[in-house]
Amino acid sequence: MALLGPIFLLGLLGIGLPLWLHRLETQVTEREPFATAMFLEPAKKRIHVQRKLKYLLLMALRILFFVLLVLAFTRPVFFAPPQAVITEETTHHVIVVDTSFSMQTEDRFNQAMAAVRSIIADMETDDVVSLYSASSNISTIVSMTGNSDDIDQALDSLEAGNGKLDLGNMISSLNTMIEESQANFVLHVVSDFQQTGQAVRFADMIPDVINGRPITLDIERVASDNTANWAVDSVLVTTVDTIEVGIRGYAQEDSERSISLSINEEVQQESQVTLDADGMTFVTFSNVIFAEGDNRIDIRMTPNDALAGDDLRYTVFDNSPPAPVMLLTEDEASLGVTYITAALETAPRGYEVILQNISDLDPRVLQRYPWVVIEDIGTINASLATAITDYVNGGGAVLTAAGESALGLSSIPVLDLEVGSTPLTRESRNPITMIDSSHPALGESSGWGSVNVQALPLEAGDDDNILVAQSNEQPVLLERQIGRGRFMLLATALDNTLSDLPVKPVFVTFMAETARYLSNENLLIREQVAESFLQLGVAGGASGQVYDPDGESLLSLADTTQAQDISLDKTGYYQVFTPSGEVLVAVNPDRRESDLTIMDAQVLQNWQNVVAGTARPDEQRLNDGTVSQTQELEEREIWRLFLFLLVIIVIAESILGNQHLRVKTGTL
Amino acid sequence: MSTSSDNRPAPMRLLDPSVLGAMSNLELVAKAVVEGFVIGLHRSPKFGFSQEFVEYRQYADGDDPRYIDWNVYARSDRTVIKRFKGETNSHLMLLLDTSASMGFGSGDTSKLQYGKYLGASLAYLAARQHDAVGVMLFDNEVKEYRPPASKPGSLQGVIHTLDDAQASEGTDINQPMTRFREHIKKRGLVAVISDFYCDAQELMENIRPLALHGQDVIMFHLLDKDELTPEIKQSTLYEDMETGQAIEVEPAFMQKAYRDKIQKHIASIEEAANGIRADHILLDTSEPLDKALHNYLTFREKRG
Repeated sequence: MALLGPIFLLGLLGIGLPLWLHRLETQVTEREPFATAMFLEPAKKRIHVQRKLKYLLLMALRILFFVLLVLAFTRPVFFAPPQAVITEETTHHVIVVDTSFSMQTEDRFNQAMAAVRSIIADMETDDVVSLYSASSNISTIVSMTGNSDDIDQALDSLEAGNGKLDLGNMISSLNTMIEESQANFVLHVVSDFQQTGQAVRFADMIPDVINGRPITLDIERVASDNTANWAVDSVLVTTVDTIEVGIRGYAQEDSERSISLSINEEVQQESQVTLDADGMTFVTFSNVIFAEGDNRIDIRMTPNDALAGDDLRYTVFDNSPPAPVMLLTEDEASLGVTYITAALETAPRGYEVILQNISDLDPRVLQRYPWVVIEDIGTINASLATAITDYVNGGGAVLTAAGESALGLSSIPVLDLEVGSTPLTRESRNPITMIDSSHPALGESSGWGSVNVQALPLEAGDDDNILVAQSNEQPVLLERQIGRGRFMLLATALDNTLSDLPVKPVFVTFMAETARYLSNENLLIREQVAESFLQLGVAGGASGQVYDPDGESLLSLADTTQAQDISLDKTGYYQVFTPSGEVLVAVNPDRRESDLTIMDAQVLQNWQNVVAGTARPDEQRLNDGTVSQTQELEEREIWRLFLFLLVIIVIAESILGNQHLRVKTGTL
Repeated sequence: MSTSSDNRPAPMRLLDPSVLGAMSNLELVAKAVVEGFVIGLHRSPKFGFSQEFVEYRQYADGDDPRYIDWNVYARSDRTVIKRFKGETNSHLMLLLDTSASMGFGSGDTSKLQYGKYLGASLAYLAARQHDAVGVMLFDNEVKEYRPPASKPGSLQGVIHTLDDAQASEGTDINQPMTRFREHIKKRGLVAVISDFYCDAQELMENIRPLALHGQDVIMFHLLDKDELTPEIKQSTLYEDMETGQAIEVEPAFMQKAYRDKIQKHIASIEEAANGIRADHILLDTSEPLDKALHNYLTFREKRG
C-alpha cells in the first residue's frame, strides 16, 4: 500500500486521538493568575515541568504507536544500498593471508601481518577491502567494507594454523567467494609461497574475471630464501615391539639431533642421530613396550629448527588383542577356509579365526561372536537357517559365500532369494564393473576391476543393497538389514573355483574392512592431516562426543545425537567416544608443509603477468552487458521491526502511564 | 453572598460586595452603601447625621454656593457658609491603585472592584457631609486625576472616574505620589486604596511627606481571601499578574510559609503607617464595606 493510500491516511487520523486527549489533560495544568509572586517560593522539585514532560512523552509514545501500527500494515520495505558504494573508479582490495602450517616458521606470520597493515595504510579513501585467510580452506575474515579499522581489529585475532595451502584451491575458492561489484580488483596474496603450494596446473591459479573488471595481482612475499628444515615424516610399528621412525630433511647440510620416543606421554627411549640434509633418515626403536588398546606414540626431535611444529609427530597404535571370529564350514581343510583365515589373520586389526564344523554347531554358540563367516551358504540346513536368522535379528552379522553346495539351491536360505537357472561353468566368469565405494566395507578396496567372478544368478529384492556387481548386472556382493543385524552375501565361492577373488590383493583389504564393518568396530582413520574433517558418521553410523587435543569438547549435547563432520584444526590426539568405545585419532600437519622451498621468482612474475592480462576492454564489457550502469538496491521488509517497536512502545506507555497516575493520586 | 438566612435589613445587605456586584451603576452602589450604612449608624449613639447648626464660616473657593447663607449676606454683606454638626468641610482625596494585581479576585469581586465600591462610597459619604472630593488613579504612574471639589456634579465626576478604572500596569508608588504631592495644596484627608504590594520602607518614604504636609492619611489595604489564607490541594503554577513570572508552589508552602510572609508584610505596612501617624485598615474583599466606612468615620472623627 502506498503511503498516500486512502486507508493509510484514514489510519493516520488515529493520531488525533492522543492529541485531543492530551490537549484536554494539559488544560488542567495551565497557569493560574496570582496577584503577586513577591511571597512565593518555587517548589523544590519542578513537579509541573516534570509532569508536562511526562505528558509530552506519553503523548509522543501514543502517537508513535498509531504511526507504527499504520505503517506496519503498509508492509514497508527499505531499499538498502550495498554496504559500500562501488563505482568503476573504486578499487576493491582482496587481501588473502596465508595461514598454513609453514607460516609458523620463524616470524613469517608477523611479517604477513605487517604487510597487510601496510596495504591498508596505502589504501585510498574510496577504496574497499575484504580479508580472507587461506589454508586448507578459505575463510572470510572481513567482508567487503570501506572501514579499514574492521580489518585492523580482525588481524589481531588471526594466527597461523596447521593446514596446507594450495594456491590453485585458493583461487578456485576465491572465485566463488568474492562479492561481485564494478570495482577494480587488486588481489593481494600474502604468503611464503612454498613450492609445494603451487597448483598442479598453472591455469588453476588464474582467477575468474569478475564483471570484466581489471584484476591486479599483488604478491607479498614473507620468505626470501629456502629455509632449512627437518620433519618427523613417518612412524611405523613394524613388529610388536619395534618402531621405525623416518626423518625427512629439506636442507643443505646434515644436522645432529636427538630423537625421543614417548609412549602414552612417557619417554621410553632417546637416540642421537645425524640427519641427512636432503632425504630420509630412519631411526629404529626396539624393545618398545606398548599398553593394551590405543597407544599414543610421540616422536620428538630436539633441538627444534625453524619450523618447530613438525619436529613432533603423533601416532596411534592399536595394541588390542585379536578379535575372535567364527568360521562355519563343512570342511576345515578346504581351500576356502585357508584363504579366509589367512586374510583375517593378516588384517591390520588382527582376528583370531575359530573354525567350527557346521554339523557340530550348537546354535547358541553364535551369540558369543559379534559376527560369523559361513564358507558356503549351501551347507546350512533349515534349522540352522532359522537359528542364523534369529542371530542376525538380535544384532549379529554374517558374511557368507556361495560355494559349490549352493549351486543346487533354488533359493538362498535366510534371505529367501530365488536362484536363477543359468548353469555356472569356469569359463563363464565375468569381470566386476560396479562397486559401491561409499560403503564402509569397500571404501579403501581398490583392484576389484581385475577380479573375474562366476556368480550365482540372483534376483535381488527391494531390501537388498547391491554393493558389487558384474558387467551382466548380476550381483556379486549384496547386503540386507535384518532386524538389528546385517547379512552380507558373496554370490560366489571363496575357494578359487568360481572366482579368482581370493587370490587377488583386494581380497585381504576387503576381508579386513568387512570384518571391521560387521564387528561394529570404529572405521575412523586413526591418523589424519590437520584441517581435514573427521567423519563421525562412519563410526558405526552414530555419533558421539569428541574432545580436541586440549581436552575441550567439540559437540553440544544435541549435536552428539547426530552424525557430524569435525574439523581437525589442532595437532595432537583427538578423543572420539562412540557407541563402540573410545578411539584416538592422531592429527599432524600435512607433510608437504614441511618443505620450506619457496617458489621461483620467475614463476611468481609470470603469475602476475598472466593475471594482469585477463581483463577485457571496457567496450567489450559494455557490449556483453557485464557492466550495469546502476546498482541494484536490496529490498528489505521492515514491518517486523515495526511490530517489535510497537511491543516496546506499549510496554513503555503502560509504565509511564502508571507512573503518571501514581503522581496524580499522591497530590490530591 | 446574600442568602435567605441573612437576617440583616435590606439596606445593610447592600454593604455586601457580592450583592453590590449585581448593580451596574457605581453611583447607585455608593448611594445604596452609604444609605444602608447611615441607617445602621442611626442606631448608634456615636455618630449622627443631624442638621444641627454649629457656626458660620467664611466662604472659600470650591465651596458649594448652595450653602451660602444669603440672609447673613443681606445683613452684613459677608459671604458665609452655614455649618452643621457632622460637617467637617474638609477635602477628601481618593487615591485608587489600578495596578494589575488589583485585578485579582478569587470570587465575583476583584480587589479593584472592591476599591471602586469603597472609593465611591467614601466619595458619596464625603459629599453628603459637604466635603470636597477628588480622585487619583495610579499604577506605576498617574492615570487619572481630579482635584477635590464640592461643586455640583463633582461627585458624579469622581464616581465616573472611579467607574472607568481598569487594572493594567505594575505598581510603582514613588512616581504617582511625587506627582500627587505637587498637585495637592490644601490640607485634608487622603484615602489610599491599594493592595500595597510594595516595599514598606519605600511606601513610608512616599507617604511621610503627605503627613508632614498636614494631610491625614488613611490606608485601605485590600487583600483577597485567597491572598490571605490560600488553600490549594496540589502543586500549582502561579503567574504574577504584574510581571508574568510563573512560579510553581506546593500546598505545604501556601499553607504555612506564604501565610507567614504575607502577615509579616501586612505588619510591616501597618508599622510604616503608624510611623507616619496614618491609619492602616486591612480589608478582606469578601467582607462587607461597613467595616471600611466605620473606620473612615472613626478616623474622620479623630482628626476632627
